[in-house]
Order: sequence, then C-alpha cells, then structure tokens
Amino acid sequence: MKEILSIQGLSKSYKNVRAIRNLDLQISEGQAYGILGPNGSGKTTTLSIVTGIIKQDAGMFRWFNEAPEASQRRFIGSLIETPHFYPYLNLVKNLKIICDIKGMPYGDIDRVLETANLSERKKSKFSTLSLGMKQRLGIAAALLGDPRVLVLDEPTNGLDPEGIAEVRELVLIQVNAGKTLILASHILSEVEKICSHVAILKKGELLANGPVKELLAEDEIIEISSNNNEELKKLLKGSPLVKDIETENGLLVLTLDEEVKPADVNSFAFANKLVIHHMLSRKRSLESHFLELVKEE
Amino acid sequence: MRRLLHIEQIKLLNYNPFRITLGIYFLAFTLGLVIYPALDKEIPVISLSDLFRFPDVWLFLTWVTEPYNMLLALIIIMITTKEFNNHTFKTQVIFGLSRTELLLQKLLLVVVLALFATLLLGLTSLTLGLIYSYKLTFKIAMENTWILGRYFVSSFAYMSMGLLVALLMKNTALSLLTFLAMRVFVDPVLFLVLRKYELRWYLPMRATTQLTPVPNLIEIFEKKMNSAEPIDESALNIIPDGLPGWQNIMLVLTYTIMAIFFSYRLMQRRRFT
Repeated sequence: MKEILSIQGLSKSYKNVRAIRNLDLQISEGQAYGILGPNGSGKTTTLSIVTGIIKQDAGMFRWFNEAPEASQRRFIGSLIETPHFYPYLNLVKNLKIICDIKGMPYGDIDRVLETANLSERKKSKFSTLSLGMKQRLGIAAALLGDPRVLVLDEPTNGLDPEGIAEVRELVLIQVNAGKTLILASHILSEVEKICSHVAILKKGELLANGPVKELLAEDEIIEISSNNNEELKKLLKGSPLVKDIETENGLLVLTLDEEVKPADVNSFAFANKLVIHHMLSRKRSLESHFLELVKEE
Repeated sequence: MRRLLHIEQIKLLNYNPFRITLGIYFLAFTLGLVIYPALDKEIPVISLSDLFRFPDVWLFLTWVTEPYNMLLALIIIMITTKEFNNHTFKTQVIFGLSRTELLLQKLLLVVVLALFATLLLGLTSLTLGLIYSYKLTFKIAMENTWILGRYFVSSFAYMSMGLLVALLMKNTALSLLTFLAMRVFVDPVLFLVLRKYELRWYLPMRATTQLTPVPNLIEIFEKKMNSAEPIDESALNIIPDGLPGWQNIMLVLTYTIMAIFFSYRLMQRRRFT
C-alpha cells in the first residue's frame, strides 16, 4: 500500500509545555486513521505540523513519500481546529480564494457548498454564519478539488447532534469512496464509527496504534470465584480459553479469548472438578478501555 | 504570480477599509487638481500656476504628494495585520501556500500600489503641466520626469517598512501607531538630536523623504521675475542639503531590502494560530 503520511520522531514544545514527544506514525493510502486522545494530548499540534502551520522542534514527516512542501498540501483537504476565512467575504468568494491557492478552477465550488448543505447561504458573508455553518464551510473547503487525503481535526466540535450526524455521514461517504482520512478526535465512538486504524495519544506520546478492531475490540471480561481459585487460575492459564487472568479481591478476573463464552469457562471448571460459585460478566465498554489506555502512565 | 495577485484582488476589492483609504488617496490627488489652482487666486504676486508648468510641475507635485505615500503604507499595515487577526495566514498555509508565497503576495501588492501611485502622480502632473505651460515642447515637458522613478522607490520603501512593522507587531492599532510615530516623531526628533552629524541623513524615514526633496522654489520664482541678480540661496538655507542623489537612492534601497529580508525571516518563523 502506498504511503500517504509518515511521521518519525516528531517533537514539539511550547515554552515549558511538551506538546508531542518523539511521535512515530505511518498512514497508508485508503486508511481511515483516527488520532484519539484527550484534550491536550497533542493531536492538534501533530496535525498543525504536518499541515505547515507550525514547525517541529525535532523529527520529520513525509507526505506521499516526499519531503514536505507547500504544494503537496493542495492535494490534501484540511480542517484544523475552527475554520478561519475572511469575515467580510461571502462564502463563494472565500472558496474562490481557496481555489486560487490550490490552482484549480472555480467549477467545484457549487458542488462542495451543496454537499455541505450551504447552497442557500452562498452569498452570505462568512461572519454571519453560525458556528455549525462555519464548521461545515471548513469541511466544504477541505473537499474542494476532491483531494485524495482529508485531514480533519475535531470536525464535529461545536456542532449540534444533528450537525454531528451530518458531518459524520459526510466524512463516511468520503472514506467509503476510498479517500485516506486522518481524523483527530477525543470522542471514542466517533473514531470507532469512522476509522479503520487508530493511534492513541496521551500527553504527546503515542500509547498504542493499530487497527481499530484490535485496539478497541470489545473484550469480554468476567469475574469468577471457585472452591479453589489457585488451582483454577493455574488450569485456566494453561488453557486456550483466556487471554489474560488476574486476581482481584479474591476474585479471578478473566479476559476471555474471542468466541469464548462464560459457559465454556464453567464447563471447563466442572470438567476439572472445580465448582464455580460466583460468576459475573464485566463486559468492558470501549469508553473504559480507552480511559484505561489513556490512564496508564 | 498571477494566482497570488488574484487572491489579493479578491481579498482587497471587497474590503471596505481598503476601498476607503484608496478612495481618500485618489481624492487627495484629484482634488489637488481643483484646489491648488483655486488657491492660486488668493496669493497675488507669486502665482502657484508657475509651479504647474513644465518641467517644474514634476518636482513640485512629487514633493507635495509624497506624504500621501503614508496612506499606502497604512493600507499595507492594515491588510497584513488583518490576516493575523482573522487567522487567514493560517488558512492559506493549510490549503497550500508556502510562507514565502505569503510574503510574495504582499510584496506584489506593494509593487502594484507603488506603480498605481506613480502612474497617478504622472497623470496628474501631466494634466496640470498641459494646462498651465506656455511653451510646450516635448523636451521641456519630459525634463525632470526622472523624479517619478524616485517617487516609485519612495512609495515602495514606505510600504516595505510598513510591512515589516505589521509582521513584527501583528496588531493593527499598534502597528499603525508605531509606523506613524516613526514618521512624525521618532525620526524628526532623532534628526534634531543628530543635527550636527552627517548621520542624520541616514535615518530611514528621513532618507526616504529626501528622495523627493523640496523643489528649488526660489529658482522657479526667480525665473518668472527675471531678477537681474540671483538671490543667494545658501544664505536662505531653505533647501536641505542631504546626501547626494544616487547615494540617497542606494541608502533607501538598502533599507528596503533589509525590511524585506527581515519580513521574510519573520514570515518563516511566525507561528500561525
């Protein structure tokens, strides 16, 4: 697969605050890559660096396997934080400026305004738009010229629930059309719904990255107790049923392997002449999994 | 290049403060055409229309309209700081302009405005000259037109310095104040402080105003009065000496290049938020 963006050892500090440290990321063509992390984890800094707004202190990045250059950004549709346009110009004129920057004809303007549901306001000044509309115009601008890569930083920020759904729908259409997407978000469900891959950041460091299915997969966790926990633990460790087993307050906490049901554990114990007298499903939600990942020091 | 200019065109032609300032600039020029001759009737012996004859009109109008260049510099300051206020430098970078192109954009605008100003001055002088001159030969009419070149350098220099101030301060009001203070306060005061030293002619603003010096009014009126004995000009000391012309131009060009160089450095380093 063709490499779209490769980040190596990227670091950036603002005065005393370390925004990102030694970050490595590889994003290939066609991936919908989520960058997930709480506020202040370095998502926006990372995207600001790769879109040329700020300079890194150390490390490097490459777009399309080439050293970074301003002209590459004409093939990337970006929305970093809140969109900024000329407040006194109407939407069409603002988008004409973007077309000029990208060196493309104005023919695409009507299409993107239509896509972002802003056609009716196309002659309005940018300053008269609501926050949600501004955000949608930012996305419309990113879609100009049908770029092969989209870089979106918190695209649903400040939108009402309807707006959020619309924007997600819009982004999903792009992803399904085979575009490469780089999406920064602090909302786990957003990443889970849209992305195929995810990198989890915390305090500027990469905690984990990989396919969403693996990283954010819903593991089934159960707690059990039997007449001989020590023995059961030993037996289960040697069995293919569990991924992980821990003792917690006298209970065994098992992370089940995929396709394994709690009943299988019960019959396994029974076959080994052990009696389970307590069993509780602790199905771990994505949210707590994410929090867990982020919490780890 | 054309792409960059077109972007500026969309931004500016719809920007009211730009239209208003440029309108004032234009009015200042054209009203001059009406007002100076009207003033003329008020003053008996000396006729201002003597100043509107070829070839003196070129020098006189250049000197009179030189302060208007400040308006052009103010335009540059306004539009540059507005890009910071509106965060639109950031937008332009995200969508594919390099930082060098951002600067080039503004420099192209500086060139266009300087050309516009020079053209306006040329046309005004030509019109007045054609109206008020007795003798009209091509040679006389074209004498002194070299001053237009200096006017171009002067407006280019002012705007470049304005651009540097704007990139340095980022804030509109602060930049305008700083620039105006330099012109009407800092430079003149330093000029007085340094009055005993040759160095005073090297002050950036002073050097730029020296590009379009006060014309030799005495000589012009002398010609008219046909007085037998020439007046001792040095005794009157009306006309400041300053640096030799070419040296002055080189100095201003050096300042301009320095302003552009530092603007470039600033543009490369600025963090666009």
